[in-house]
Amino acid sequence: MEPTQIALYTLLSPLVSAVVIALFFRRNGTIAATISVASAAVVAAGGLMLAYGGHRFEASMEWFRFYDFGMSLGFKFDDLAAVMIAIVGVVGFCVHLFSLGYMADDEAKARFFGGLSIFMFSMLGIVLADNLFMMFVFWELVGFSSYLLINHYCLKQSAAEASKKAFIVNRVGDFGFLIGILMCYGVYGTVNLSELAMATTGGALVATAIPLLLFCGALGKSAQMPLHIWLPDAMEGPTPVSALIHAATMVAAGIYMLCRIEMLMVADALQVIMWVGTVTALYAALCAVVQSDIKKVLAYSTLSQLGYMVAAFGLGAGQTNSGAMFSVGAAAAMFHLTTHAFFKALLFLGSGSVIHGCHHEQDMFKMGGLLKKMPLTAITMLIGVLAIGGLPFVTAGFFSKDAILHLAQVTNPAVFGILVFTAVLTTFYMVRMWKLTFLGSPRSDSASHAHEGGFMTMQLPLIILAVLSIFGGYTHGALGFVYGHSFDGVWSQIPHPESLVGVVIMSLAILGIGGGLAWVLYPSSDKDGLETQVPGAFAVLTLLKESFDKAYTYYVAKVQDRFAMLLNFIDQILIAGLIVRGLAGFVGLFGLGARALHVGSLHAYVYWFLLGIVMLWGFAGGLF
Amino acid sequence: MSDIIFHVFAFLTIGSSVAVVINHNAVNSALAFLVGLFGVAGLFVLLDSFLLAVLMILVYAGAVVALFLFIIMLLDMKGGERNAFSKPTAIAGLIGAALLAVCSTSLAKGFNLLPAADAASVIPVGATLRNYADQLFTVYLLPVQVVGFLLLIAMLGVIVLSKKFEGLEDVK
Amino acid sequence: MSSIGLFHYLMVATLMFSIGFVGVLIRKNTLVIYMCLELMLVASTIALVAFSRFNGTMDGNVFVFFILTVAAAEVAVGLAIIVALFRRRQTVQVDELNALKN
Repeated sequence: MEPTQIALYTLLSPLVSAVVIALFFRRNGTIAATISVASAAVVAAGGLMLAYGGHRFEASMEWFRFYDFGMSLGFKFDDLAAVMIAIVGVVGFCVHLFSLGYMADDEAKARFFGGLSIFMFSMLGIVLADNLFMMFVFWELVGFSSYLLINHYCLKQSAAEASKKAFIVNRVGDFGFLIGILMCYGVYGTVNLSELAMATTGGALVATAIPLLLFCGALGKSAQMPLHIWLPDAMEGPTPVSALIHAATMVAAGIYMLCRIEMLMVADALQVIMWVGTVTALYAALCAVVQSDIKKVLAYSTLSQLGYMVAAFGLGAGQTNSGAMFSVGAAAAMFHLTTHAFFKALLFLGSGSVIHGCHHEQDMFKMGGLLKKMPLTAITMLIGVLAIGGLPFVTAGFFSKDAILHLAQVTNPAVFGILVFTAVLTTFYMVRMWKLTFLGSPRSDSASHAHEGGFMTMQLPLIILAVLSIFGGYTHGALGFVYGHSFDGVWSQIPHPESLVGVVIMSLAILGIGGGLAWVLYPSSDKDGLETQVPGAFAVLTLLKESFDKAYTYYVAKVQDRFAMLLNFIDQILIAGLIVRGLAGFVGLFGLGARALHVGSLHAYVYWFLLGIVMLWGFAGGLF
Repeated sequence: MSDIIFHVFAFLTIGSSVAVVINHNAVNSALAFLVGLFGVAGLFVLLDSFLLAVLMILVYAGAVVALFLFIIMLLDMKGGERNAFSKPTAIAGLIGAALLAVCSTSLAKGFNLLPAADAASVIPVGATLRNYADQLFTVYLLPVQVVGFLLLIAMLGVIVLSKKFEGLEDVK
Repeated sequence: MSSIGLFHYLMVATLMFSIGFVGVLIRKNTLVIYMCLELMLVASTIALVAFSRFNGTMDGNVFVFFILTVAAAEVAVGLAIIVALFRRRQTVQVDELNALKN
């Protein structure tokens, strides 16, 4: 089978699944689930075949043409796309499998699995896209799927508002993205990625506005500041959704897009990107410290790690080694994206297992003692926590984080300092989460009756992801069996420090300080340890979290709503009332006048005849 | 001599026209019309169009007025009605007078353009039947055919219009 | 020599036309209105014949021919319509034939 055919089938099979579910199996959740999981398996198989089979190709087809402007759909499958498709396939399949168990007693299973299939289709579209317009189309589709899935528990008001918020904030970012694409088209006459690469080689000057506007898309999709507010609220969706969309794949689409457009980057834009990422990482880590909901902790952790990836891109995208297809920054960001996908999905699915076991209890302070009740979940989540903390050599997170920190150290020491502090905070709140959830004694009824989920559906994905979290860090060498040599185009550019000793010491120090502090501060109790012992810090951190939301609400209420009311006035009263109905009424007046002529009296008609004849006479005689 | 005859016939025509308009009884109006047609025929004779004069009597007086009288007798149950002098009448009179005034003044203005007043100096081509036939069957052949067709359609139309339609409710 | 010129004949025609016109506007009986219409038609024939005579052409005369024919046909059809109307509305007074009013 041709590689383009494999790619096409991989792309279309989730779409087919979604359509079939929507049309025929709305009521039958079990069949819908089976179809969706089957399509996820097809996607995983196809993706892995393409990635590991060494097929690298580009193919495109023109969709429509309007004089000079043509829009085409096509695939650009290089090493970068191969990495992404492998992640999307594997993590997607694990999440689908997990959902079978997690959503087993949900009433709207068909809707859920349909939404998951639409999401897979849209994400694959972004991964495989070869031009910016096509990417934008699928970008919007991914936003739509996210909206659909966050709102799965549609009877809850908070879920409805969260999904609206996610979509609208994404839209704001997409507006900048679209303007960037249009500018790109205007300046270069093409939005095809390969053609853009050729147009900008040799250091041709690029306007700073273009990459910054395109970065707006990543701001929205990857939830960087100031458009980060939707991600914590998006936890209203079911946990598999959070795992797939808001941890591993959709939010990573922003990073992927940045790597795709790195040939358009200029130094000033990269500075902005770097600082945005760093600030987001720090802010999110600070907010995560005071969360009590287990999913919110993970959401802020995702925000923080995304900040890492964006900062890595900003740090290193200017440095491209000769003969390489990708820059150092892109490689570092993609590497962290990959390992993050594995361990974050693992953490989310693990938390899903916990939530499912505790009968949908999400407050960490009501859990505890689950190590004995759910050992597999506890061990796999421990692996995840160590991965995100960066335990040297054993976990994947160590290698990717180390690459980013090394890049920061050689490029920008200030950023390096902030990122190290953030790493300490990361370990702190992660260990806090693990300890509160799994150690101590059960603090509520639901915790004391917890149990593991089914093996095939809920525990197997955890095991797969745990293995990948351990071995996903080895990009070459004897232990690099996960990747083989298939992704060398990207992996070869990952920055490595010369001496590993300093790095190891630094990582161990980070782990020790963060983890130790957390261990000490949080005994197993109902109250937040930080709140009781350092109330000032707790209050400040809570305020930090609330401030953004408050600012946006104020802006929306005062500025946005008033503007909307003004537009409503213009539309209803001026346009619809005055112009549309006014014109119709004006014509109606003529009708009324004509109606008055019909008096039914023959003599009146004769008079009108006379008038007509006189006028004709006048015309003929040259009077008028 | 012909002047006097002209004036006689002219007054006859005008007088009977006024009678048509003023008379309350419809039958009286029809008969006044008839008399007026005789006056017109006389005027035609003075204009040397003998054929047309005779045709006037035959067609108009003989057929059209007869038809009118027939329908009047068929339909008009009441004898007549009193036309009170009301506002519409006044306005109509005014408009009629205005029309007359306009026509007369335009005639008077264009008087110089009219051909010579001497009737005798122009050869009366309409005096012979031959000239009519000449024109009708060469220059005006198409109108003759069309008018024939028109008469056919009129006949058909009259037949259709006179039928009684069953099942239609009255508009009251 | 007669001093009756074209002008006199045209005056007769104009006068007859105006009288017929006033008759159409004044009378309430549909049949009488129709008759006044015929009056107007006859007036136009007088004018035509007069012009034709004083110009020395045949066209006016021949045209009167056609007017005669058409007037006959028109009267036939018009009276048929009036009869049908009478059957429907039982009246031929114009001010009672006002079903189209408002």
